[in-house]
Amino acid sequence: MLQSKVLMRHPMLKWFLMSHEKQSYVLQLAILSLAMILSFCTRLFSVIRFGSMIHEFDPYFNYRTTKYLAEKGFYEFHNWFDDRAWYPLGRIIGGTIYPGLMVTSTALYHLLNTFNFTVDIREVCVFLAPLFSSLTTLVTFLMTRELHSTGAGLFAACCISIVPGYISRSVAGSYDNEGIAIFCMLLTYYFWIKSVKTGSLCWSACCALSYFYMVSAWGGYVFLVNLIPIHVLCLMLTGRFHHKIYVAYSTFYCLGTVLSMQISFVGFQPVQTSEHMGALGVFGLCQIYSFVEYVRSKLTKENFTALFRTILMFSLGCFALFFAVLTLSGKVAPWTGRFYSLLDPSYAKNNIPIIASVSEHQPTAWSSFYFDLHVLTIMFPVGLYYCFKNLTDHNIFVILYGVTSIYFAGVMVRLMLVLAPIMCILGGIGLSSVASTYVRNIDLTRKEDKKSKKSADNYPIKSEVALVVVCIVGAFMMFYAQHCVWVTSEAYSSPSIVLSAETAHGRIIFDDYREAYWWLRRNTPPDAKVMSWWDYGYQISAIANRTVLVDNNTWNNTHISRVGQAMSSPEERAYPIMRELDVDYVLVIFGGLSGYSSDDINKFLWMVRIGGSTPSGEHIKEHDYYTPQGEFRVDKLGSKTLLNCLMYKLSYYRFGSMYTQTGQPSGYDRVRNAEIGNKDFELTYLEEAYTTEHWIVRIYKVKKPDNRGNLV
Amino acid sequence: MSDIIFNLYKFLECPNLKLRCPSWVKTPSPMFVFTVIMIFYFGITSGVIYDIVLETPSIGSRVDAQGHSRPVAFLPNRINGQYIMEGLAASCMFALGSGGFIMLDQLHSRQIMPRFTRMLLTGVALLSALVAFFVCRIFVKIKIPAYLAK
Repeated sequence: MLQSKVLMRHPMLKWFLMSHEKQSYVLQLAILSLAMILSFCTRLFSVIRFGSMIHEFDPYFNYRTTKYLAEKGFYEFHNWFDDRAWYPLGRIIGGTIYPGLMVTSTALYHLLNTFNFTVDIREVCVFLAPLFSSLTTLVTFLMTRELHSTGAGLFAACCISIVPGYISRSVAGSYDNEGIAIFCMLLTYYFWIKSVKTGSLCWSACCALSYFYMVSAWGGYVFLVNLIPIHVLCLMLTGRFHHKIYVAYSTFYCLGTVLSMQISFVGFQPVQTSEHMGALGVFGLCQIYSFVEYVRSKLTKENFTALFRTILMFSLGCFALFFAVLTLSGKVAPWTGRFYSLLDPSYAKNNIPIIASVSEHQPTAWSSFYFDLHVLTIMFPVGLYYCFKNLTDHNIFVILYGVTSIYFAGVMVRLMLVLAPIMCILGGIGLSSVASTYVRNIDLTRKEDKKSKKSADNYPIKSEVALVVVCIVGAFMMFYAQHCVWVTSEAYSSPSIVLSAETAHGRIIFDDYREAYWWLRRNTPPDAKVMSWWDYGYQISAIANRTVLVDNNTWNNTHISRVGQAMSSPEERAYPIMRELDVDYVLVIFGGLSGYSSDDINKFLWMVRIGGSTPSGEHIKEHDYYTPQGEFRVDKLGSKTLLNCLMYKLSYYRFGSMYTQTGQPSGYDRVRNAEIGNKDFELTYLEEAYTTEHWIVRIYKVKKPDNRGNLV
Repeated sequence: MSDIIFNLYKFLECPNLKLRCPSWVKTPSPMFVFTVIMIFYFGITSGVIYDIVLETPSIGSRVDAQGHSRPVAFLPNRINGQYIMEGLAASCMFALGSGGFIMLDQLHSRQIMPRFTRMLLTGVALLSALVAFFVCRIFVKIKIPAYLAK
């Protein structure tokens, strides 16, 4: 009595008076909140170092469309035809994007402004991804708790809050579809598992609604719409199909498909393309299977078998014929380029250079797996093993998800993002199972008591082994945390638009990109057209607010090929192409002075390949740009075609007189490590307009034809 | 109409097909499927698709100060690049680590086991798990010297 009175007076010690359930509940809440706060904070490195800005290339397009939506409203946004990109073709934005991200940001923006928190739309865009990663942590906890246990849920939540594979695409400033898509995907999977477990119409409807949110957010919804039918099919094959799954899948498919067709970009694809046929097929199969079960319960055995056999053979034959006719006549479109390259990895390399040129689309090496997932690569099979040990309907789903995402992550390094959540879930299950089995063996009573109860003779030092195992699990988690924070800080927190380098004199910041774009914004006429390689299109549109010819959407290969031809041809042949496209300014990225290696000369071979891939570029052949020995060189030994093409001249104009490194002659290119071959030349059809401080961005003005038609 | 069908069946004879699923086709056991998936996981994490598409050499080489050609096991300084051997070695380590933890579970779930087997299994399991983890760390440190440096 006295003790409890003492305890009641000290509020902190009240903890010990609470029942075990309450203590454990408070502990769970505390751990989960800490994980959610951690996932937000760990993504803020680049905001602290460089300020709150949008990163990379694609996020600038999303930012521009979000600004438009916030200013003009949804109907204007939905009907928007953008004439400032892909000049002279234009682009229908309303019908060719996934609006979920923009709508979410605008909703949040309006909500905050209603409460008079007058934040700028840019701040909402920058911090949206970390916010959604906190919500992802929460959903992962809920999902893993459904699948296994609360302990596994907490492990999985802690793992996913800092896993580098997810952080790489959801850092503050990376305003891209994947930031919210992973949240939507896991929410849909959580609702799906709930509906499979309960068979309730309510959960299935929630699943369909969150599937709609997912479709509005990312093109990767195709993964979901194939994984869930594969799960149902697997359950049918293993004999686990029952009425709960029938209700779950039928509701999900009907509601989900109708909802997904409301997004303009998706349109009628769910009934026309092969990527969605799997879901339709399994839906039909569900109905047939249930009907067969119903008939089986009503008929006698012999009647049933006779009826069953005839109908099965007849319908299989009809169905195969029907499907073959549809595919051959083209009514059902076959798998398209981007998704087909997932099934056949060498397809993109041989046939579609644009898809093959993006470094994110390369297959994955082992070090990417380890770098992005660390200890989870070891714990993933352990989690799978525990799932196989007690196989249930929902465990099968998680196994299928794991196996399919391992394959897709192996094919394309960008899809590591889809693998990261399931790695965390299965890793969490593995770690939690190992830890909980061994924690039970730990016996911390004193040595004298232990001697008296000599438990099983065949299991000596049980407690010591358990202690070692639990310590190992703890140590692995600590190493994981150290690795993840290091990777986030060093590798995934760079805005790409602002570069920084460590020198003997301290840190230098290269803000050349924004300097050049603002120069364009302030010193060129509003209707000026800028030609550059497609990488920079979105940034020029968003920051410089000028019309561009090609941008990162890369929807028109012929137009990009035309720009590639202009860049690869000598000045005389490039000038008519530029006049044809009404180009006023040309923008090139050059890294020779600063040592920046992702410049246009390093990308030049892709320009040549893409430029030569259409009929009007047949004169452009890749081997012309190599030396006779097959090397790509910019010095005196380089091929004459390369040394006289437009890209070379625009990159190295006036560079021949620059001294870049001590002990090297003038005109020494610090990226190619060579003295350039063609130093003193003048430009006939262009003139230099602006070069940034570190020569990274160079802008040239295209001269108008002479009045008398005589350009000398 | 029925006359036509009756006349047709005077010539045609229904084949007496007894189609049955062959007896050796059974649903595989869970642990068998798990083993297949482990082999698949081993293959993918060793970067086999990377090797096939990008046709990397099995091992790299560099020329040292005396002009001799020395082999290089790890492609340096590129996170998404590898040679075939290093991929397979890393994959072995992942599989070894997982195997260690699975052995730890087997150790615990079976109550009747001779004392010696249990001791041996514990030792091997703990050793596998620790070795796999630290060797992976060392591999990445060799590949990217700036790993975990300020």
